[in-house]
Amino acid sequence: MLTLIKREIRDHELFFIGSVILSAVLIGLSIATLDGHYWIELVTFDSPAGAIVLPIIIFGFFAMGAVQMNTDRIRKISAFISILSVSRNRILLAKIIAGLLAILIALVPLAVTVTILLRIHAPPIPIFYVMVLEIFSGTFLITLACYFIGLQAGWNSGRPIPAIVGLALTCILATLILIKGFTPEIIVILSLFIVASLIRTWHLFMSTPL
Amino acid sequence: MKLSTNYIVRVLATGFVVLILLSIPLFWARLLCNVGLYLWMPYEIKSAAIEPSGLLPDNLENDPNIERHSRVSAKMEIEPLLPIGIIEYFESTSPGQSRSCLILSSSEKDWAYFDNKSGQFVFRYVETKIMPDSDKLKREVQYYIGPEGISELPDKTLGRFIEPIADNSEFKTSLWKSSKIILYDKKLRHFFAINLKDRNITKGPQLSEDDTHRPIDIGILNKNDDILDLYWMPPTINNQSIYSRKLRIHITERDPGYRPDRYILVLDKSGRIDLLDKETLEFAGPAGRLPTPATLFPTYKNATPDDLLAYRVLPVALKEDHKYRGLFAATVNWEGTALALAVFDANGVPIKSDQTWTSVRRGNRRTHSSRAVLFGFPGAPAITIGKFLLENLHPPILFLASYFTAGSFEAASGHRALFLLPNSFVAMKGRDARENIAARFLYALLLMSPSIVLAILLALRVSKDAAIVGLSRKTRRWWLFGTITFGLVGYITYRLTRPKITLVTCANCGKPRRPDTDICHRCGSKWDVPELIPPAWRVLNG
Repeated sequence: MLTLIKREIRDHELFFIGSVILSAVLIGLSIATLDGHYWIELVTFDSPAGAIVLPIIIFGFFAMGAVQMNTDRIRKISAFISILSVSRNRILLAKIIAGLLAILIALVPLAVTVTILLRIHAPPIPIFYVMVLEIFSGTFLITLACYFIGLQAGWNSGRPIPAIVGLALTCILATLILIKGFTPEIIVILSLFIVASLIRTWHLFMSTPL
Repeated sequence: MKLSTNYIVRVLATGFVVLILLSIPLFWARLLCNVGLYLWMPYEIKSAAIEPSGLLPDNLENDPNIERHSRVSAKMEIEPLLPIGIIEYFESTSPGQSRSCLILSSSEKDWAYFDNKSGQFVFRYVETKIMPDSDKLKREVQYYIGPEGISELPDKTLGRFIEPIADNSEFKTSLWKSSKIILYDKKLRHFFAINLKDRNITKGPQLSEDDTHRPIDIGILNKNDDILDLYWMPPTINNQSIYSRKLRIHITERDPGYRPDRYILVLDKSGRIDLLDKETLEFAGPAGRLPTPATLFPTYKNATPDDLLAYRVLPVALKEDHKYRGLFAATVNWEGTALALAVFDANGVPIKSDQTWTSVRRGNRRTHSSRAVLFGFPGAPAITIGKFLLENLHPPILFLASYFTAGSFEAASGHRALFLLPNSFVAMKGRDARENIAARFLYALLLMSPSIVLAILLALRVSKDAAIVGLSRKTRRWWLFGTITFGLVGYITYRLTRPKITLVTCANCGKPRRPDTDICHRCGSKWDVPELIPPAWRVLNG
C-alpha cells in the first residue's frame, strides 16, 4: 500500500510541490496580515488574499483529481499494476490517500500557524478557535468534494466535455460556501456529498474495463 | 434485471449528488429573481411613517410655532445578498451576535466573553482609579463573574450560568464600566445585574415554571438592523429641530444621552415587549409588542421574533426627566416584502400604526406592498412567474415538506435554505392561518401542480425507457415512484445510472432486447438458435 501511495506522490509531485508552496505563501500572508492589524482580522481572513486563495485551492485540487485519473487511463497504469497481486480497491485507495495528503499539506500547516498566532496575539476567547476549526474544516471538505468531482471527470479520458462539465460542477459546488457559510450545516452536506461521490468514484473505477 | 444492493447504493449516491448539484443553481436562480424584485421595488412601498409620532407631550407637539410635527419613519433596505450565508456567518460571530460568546470587543484591551466551559463571564479591561493626589492610575483587570459573585481569579464557588443573554446597550459608551449590566439566564430563569464598579452581582427573583415570560433579548432590541431603518424626527421650528434649539432634547436609545431611569426593554419569545425594573429585576408591565406585517397570504396570528426577517425597537425618553414615554417598533415580514410600524405609549397600549401600501388606489382599495412587489410594477409579474416556475423544478417531496415545515424555520435562515423552501409560495400558504386545513392544503397542491405534472411526465418517460432497457417490473415501479417523488432529480439520476447495454433485435418480436438475459424482456421468447445444418457445397482441392 505504502509503495502505491509513494508511486502516486511521485507521479503527481507537481501538485505536492504546489501544495507546499501554497502553504508557505499562506503562512507568510497570515503572519504579514497580523503585523499592525487588529487580531480579529486574522480569524476572519479580512484580506483580499482570502478571496483569491480559496478558488486556487478548490480548482487546484479538482485538477489534481482529474489528472490522477486521466493519467491512469491514458498510461494504463492500473491495468499494468493489476497484473501484480494488487486489487483495484487498493489502487483507488492509494490515489485518494495521495489526494488527501496533498490537501492536508496545503491546509494543516496554515491552520496550525493561525492557531499559534492567535494564541500569541489574541485574548484566550474560545470563539476564535471555534472559528478557525469551522473555517478550516469547511475549506478542507469543499476541497475534498471538488477533488472527488475531479476524480470522476478525469476518468473519461481524451474527451473534453466531461472535464468541462466537471469544472462547471466544481464552480457550482464551490458556491455552497457562499450560500451556507462555514456553519455546521455545510459540514453535514459536504460530508454526505463526499461519501456519495466516493461511492460513485469507486463504482466508476471498479466497473470500467481497464 | 434484479435490484442488487450495489445498484441501490449507487442510485442513492448519485441521487444525492444530483440533488445537491441541482439545488445550488436553482438557489442562485431564485435569488436572481428576488434581487430583481427588490431592486425594482418602488420607494413608496418600502417605507411607512407616522406623524405626529404620538409620544410627545401635547404642549410640545401642539406648539403654535411648530412647522412640522414629530415623525417616526421606517424603511426596508433589503440587501440583495441577504441570503448569503458567508456574510451571515462572520456577522453572527461578532460581539453580541447569535453565534458569538463574545459580548464586548471595543479594543484590544477591553473585551468580555462568556466561557461556556466554566459557565462564567470573563471581563478584561483597563480600570482607571483616581489617586488621592488626583493622579490617574490605570491598570488592566480581569474579572470572572458567575451567578454567585465576582472574583479576580477563576473560582468554582462563583457558580455557573447556563444559557445567558446580556444587555449590550451599556457597551455603546465608555460608561459601561461604571453602570449595571443586566443579564438573563434562560435555564436558571433569573435576571442578574452586574455592577463592575462595586464588584457585586444582584440576583432577581426566579421566574416560576408557569410564568409565561420567555425572554430572548434585553436592552437594544433589533434583528438584522442593517436592512431596516427606524428614524424618529423631533418637531421642527423654522427648519430647525427642537434638538438644535436646546429647549428640551427628546432622546432615543441611539442618542449617547439615553439613560433610561428605571426600566429596560425585554423581548419575549412570543413577540411581546416588557419593561424590566432595573432595581428590583422584576417585570414592571407590558411595553408593547412587535407589530405583525402583512404577507401575501395574510395570517391573523401575532408575529414572533422568529417569524420576522428584521425588527427594530426604539424607546423614547425626555432628557429632562429620563422618564420612559413609550416606544416605536418596526418589523419586516418573513419574505422581506412588507413592513409594519407601530407606536406604543408608556403603558404598552398601541396608539398608532402603519403598514407599507401603494399610494395608488384601485377603487376604494390600496394594494399592500407584499402583493405589489410581486405583481404591481412593470416586469414584476414576469419575474414572479419565473420564480414560481423555478420553485416548481424542486423535488415535489421537498416542496411538500416545505409546506408542512413552513412555520418551523427562523425567517432569516429560511432565505438560505437549499432543500426545503420556506420562502416559496407553497410555504407562504403553509403559514396562512386563515382558512381551514383542507382548503389550505388544496390551495398548496394547486401551487405545486406544475411540479407534480412535470414529475408525472418525467416518471412516464422513465418508466417507458426502463421497459425498453429491460429493467424488472419491481425496479420500474421503484423508478416510477422515485421520479414522481423527486421530479427532475429522479429523472437525472435515472439517466446517470441507467444500464448501459447495447440492445440487439429480437428474432421473435423484432424489438430491441437485452443480450445478457435468457429470454426477451419484451416478448419472453428464448434465443432463436438456428440449427447447424452443413452446407450442401464443398470446397474441393484441385
